[in-house]
Amino acid sequence: MSSILQYGQIWPYLPSLAAGAWLSLQIAFLAFCGGLLIGTAGAAALSFGGPVLRRIVRSYVTFFTNTPQLVQIYFLYFALPDAGILLSSYAAVLIGMTLNAGAYLTDIQRAGFESVRANEMEAAEVLGFSRLQQIQFVILPHVARVLFPSLSNQYILMTLGTSMAAVFGVEELTGRAFNINSQTFRSIEVFTVTAGFYIAITLVASVILGLIGRFAFRARMRII
Amino acid sequence: MWDRVFSELPAFFGYYNMLFLTKAALATICLSAIGSVTGLISGFGLALVRLTRARWLAPARWLALLLTELFRRVPFLVTLMLVFFISQLSGLDLPLFVVALIAVFLIASAYLAEIIRSGLESVHKNQWDAATAMNFSLFETVRYVIVPQAWRVILPPAFGFFVLFIKDTALASQIGVIELTFAGKVLNNKGFPAALVFGTLLLIYFLISYPLTRFGTHLEARLAKTRHR
Repeated sequence: MSSILQYGQIWPYLPSLAAGAWLSLQIAFLAFCGGLLIGTAGAAALSFGGPVLRRIVRSYVTFFTNTPQLVQIYFLYFALPDAGILLSSYAAVLIGMTLNAGAYLTDIQRAGFESVRANEMEAAEVLGFSRLQQIQFVILPHVARVLFPSLSNQYILMTLGTSMAAVFGVEELTGRAFNINSQTFRSIEVFTVTAGFYIAITLVASVILGLIGRFAFRARMRII
Repeated sequence: MWDRVFSELPAFFGYYNMLFLTKAALATICLSAIGSVTGLISGFGLALVRLTRARWLAPARWLALLLTELFRRVPFLVTLMLVFFISQLSGLDLPLFVVALIAVFLIASAYLAEIIRSGLESVHKNQWDAATAMNFSLFETVRYVIVPQAWRVILPPAFGFFVLFIKDTALASQIGVIELTFAGKVLNNKGFPAALVFGTLLLIYFLISYPLTRFGTHLEARLAKTRHR
């Protein structure tokens, strides 16, 4: 019997990996939603805020987009306890990913806000739209269409980024792969199956996001 | 916390720690630079293969498509682990730096192939047709007509990708490559306060990445201005 590629031995662990994939999706989704909130506020601050606020938001974005997410989470996880803030590994990963996503999404959304032309806003003003109506009927439909492809791309990248949580012992997909690897020593089998899981969940996400983008926002994007 | 950080400051910024961190930073830069350049070359190959039309090359096209699509959907950490264990199992016993380099190369090939393909396709279809009408082969078309126009489109995002990978190679610390993040972990294990160590790491990464990001933005603005169809 050949000693390599014994996929049968990790067969019993598939449900465990699937549960890990579910946790990965959960982390990616939560961090993305949090990041979207920060990003929207940040992009709004960059477009409408005063000079001090703009400066603060810009420093935040520059700092977080120019340092590795892994080291940011290391800082949260290992340095904050010295200051009396003790985070669980799950919380540290989630907070780190959210802050990181917030910076990238601020950058992405700022580009979307800027793509709304002044003419459009003036036209809305002439038609007597209130500020809220301007946002609802002019800015949002336009911005959603322009932004949806980059946002869904970022979501896919973040789903892959959740594998970083394994470093801190969070039992998501890669974390479980590490555990199963140390139980069975079927390294290549475990990690190819894990890679397969990642390919599957990102493919499904791509298709769903592509369909939503095409039909809900008339965004130009490939379904696959 | 602060008094501890301040009391450790002189010891932390000693000569040997700085030497260690500088070497580690060089390893980080080499890892992403070599990986990106080799990835650029193989990505160009993959993009070219996908542009061929000959029927007998269909399997090669399928393979190129599969490689670019799959490796862009697997996290860097998982690719790294796969390369690591394959290297161990095959008995090659490659140095860890080479293992990380191969992982960067694989991911870079996939991402850069996609960037290059969209860059090549950004050249107007008429140019392709004109080259075909003048009986240029695919290679000649790309060499004399497409690349002179497409490189302006390709270079900025490719450079952005290189900067992105300076940050992503932090994960190579997980298999024990002595790069910046690993150096930080070593110093932290030696007893220096985590806030000091990881704060310094964040600063070093920032100092490497920020000028490159600025240069990338500059490059983009500069090249976009002279672009024409």
